[in-house]
Amino acid sequence: MKPEQALAAARAAAAKRDDELAPGMAIEPTERVSIEQLMEWAAIEPDVELMVSTRRLGAPITWFKRKLIHFMRQYLRELQSQQTRFNLNVLIRTAELEDRVARLEEAREQGARKPGAGESGADGAGGAGGADGAGESAADGAGGAGGAAAVSPAAPRTPDP
Amino acid sequence: MRVHQVLSGAGPYDAVTTQAFAFRALFRAWGWDGRDVAAEIDPRVGSRIAPLRSLDAGPGDVLLIHYSAYAPKLRAVLDLPNRKLLLSHNITPARWFWDHDPQAAVVCALGRKQLPQFAAAADVVAGVSLYNAREMGSEIVIPILFDPAELGAPRGDGGGGAARAGGSASPTILFVGRLAPHKRQDAVMRAFELYRRRHAPDARLVLVGAPVNWAYDAAMRELAMQLSPGAITIESGLEREQLAERYRSAQAFLCLSEHEGFCIPLLEAFHFGVPVIARPVGGVPEVAGDAALLLGEDDGESVIAELLAIVATDGELRATLRERAAERVAAYAPEPTARALRQAVESLAR
Repeated sequence: MKPEQALAAARAAAAKRDDELAPGMAIEPTERVSIEQLMEWAAIEPDVELMVSTRRLGAPITWFKRKLIHFMRQYLRELQSQQTRFNLNVLIRTAELEDRVARLEEAREQGARKPGAGESGADGAGGAGGADGAGESAADGAGGAGGAAAVSPAAPRTPDP
Repeated sequence: MRVHQVLSGAGPYDAVTTQAFAFRALFRAWGWDGRDVAAEIDPRVGSRIAPLRSLDAGPGDVLLIHYSAYAPKLRAVLDLPNRKLLLSHNITPARWFWDHDPQAAVVCALGRKQLPQFAAAADVVAGVSLYNAREMGSEIVIPILFDPAELGAPRGDGGGGAARAGGSASPTILFVGRLAPHKRQDAVMRAFELYRRRHAPDARLVLVGAPVNWAYDAAMRELAMQLSPGAITIESGLEREQLAERYRSAQAFLCLSEHEGFCIPLLEAFHFGVPVIARPVGGVPEVAGDAALLLGEDDGESVIAELLAIVATDGELRATLRERAAERVAAYAPEPTARALRQAVESLAR
């Protein structure tokens, strides 16, 4: 068989088969990260198992590195808390902004659909203003969310070793 | 002439560091002096690559910057008054790493973002493939320096094992490349398992490549155990002779990568006469030419499984692919690559 014919032959042979594998683990690219996924990532949880030495016979170095993490855990947990607090707050603000922009756009579209082109723009603006008001309440929500996120720094402090 | 090589990072097995060592050997042969430095150095590299801070470039020296990852420390090099040749080794899009190696994803994302700045600051911009070069608006190609002699000779039968007829030895499918999300070893394993179930219950799959991290390594090993218990081997850190042996015993090389800037293992498989099945992504079509069986966009694991069966048993097909493979290896012989390198560097000499 010539190389140019091989693919067509394989396709023809595959078409006669009906024994596909059951769907399983497949690596997918992350093109657009959802807000839910970001929420999950925002609370950082570095895995100590990933701390290894890449040197040949590096087992003692790995042991030492992990011990070091253990000894520094009070500082590292503070670091983790502060970073997570920041991540979550920024994320909540982003989610609220997304929501607010969506509502503004919706209100603007509704306004544009009203009869009387000259008035409709003003109406739309009014609608937007209304939505803006809603945005304000969302901002209040941000305050609340800020309070919720403030849970992080209140995480139990690690006692001195 | 003095030519200093500047690398984003240096590791014991990575293609860029190997390339830098090969270039240095050529520079020495041409009577050129200089030093090789990197922003990040894996301790296993030893003293062959010096820290970036030890770069001491004189006024007339040329800087060859191998760009392969985000390295903020490298920005200082752009401010040096020396003439610069930027060689892009391509950076994998971050979307393949966000879920599996966030640190690598950040490095890739920033690296791709920073690349135009480096291209703008360089006097000559080149890529290891035309695909890479064009990403930066250049047409200058300095391919990976590939010396097949270093890998040893193919098998006596012309390489790639004989076509499998009747009860011959169990066929081995091979893939060589970093154990990383964009290399899609998961897809290789699934296609292999289908092939094994349909055509060759005694078939083996060998995956050679260092993992991006331990967690990903564990996930791939678990998948291998679930899909084809005992039939898949995942290896890394092989010596050159061990790697050559893997190629010699393979009936087919299956590359389902979703992104490749060049893909040296293709040339290695060609050298050993192993038939190659690959996805035509990035620099793959350019390197493979007509010597590989390139899949269509819609060809799934079922078609790949059938293609593996055809490749493993059709002697005529294997012979034709082997002839074409030899031509591809010749096209990437060290001499033309060395000429392209010398021409690019000399164009910068004052």
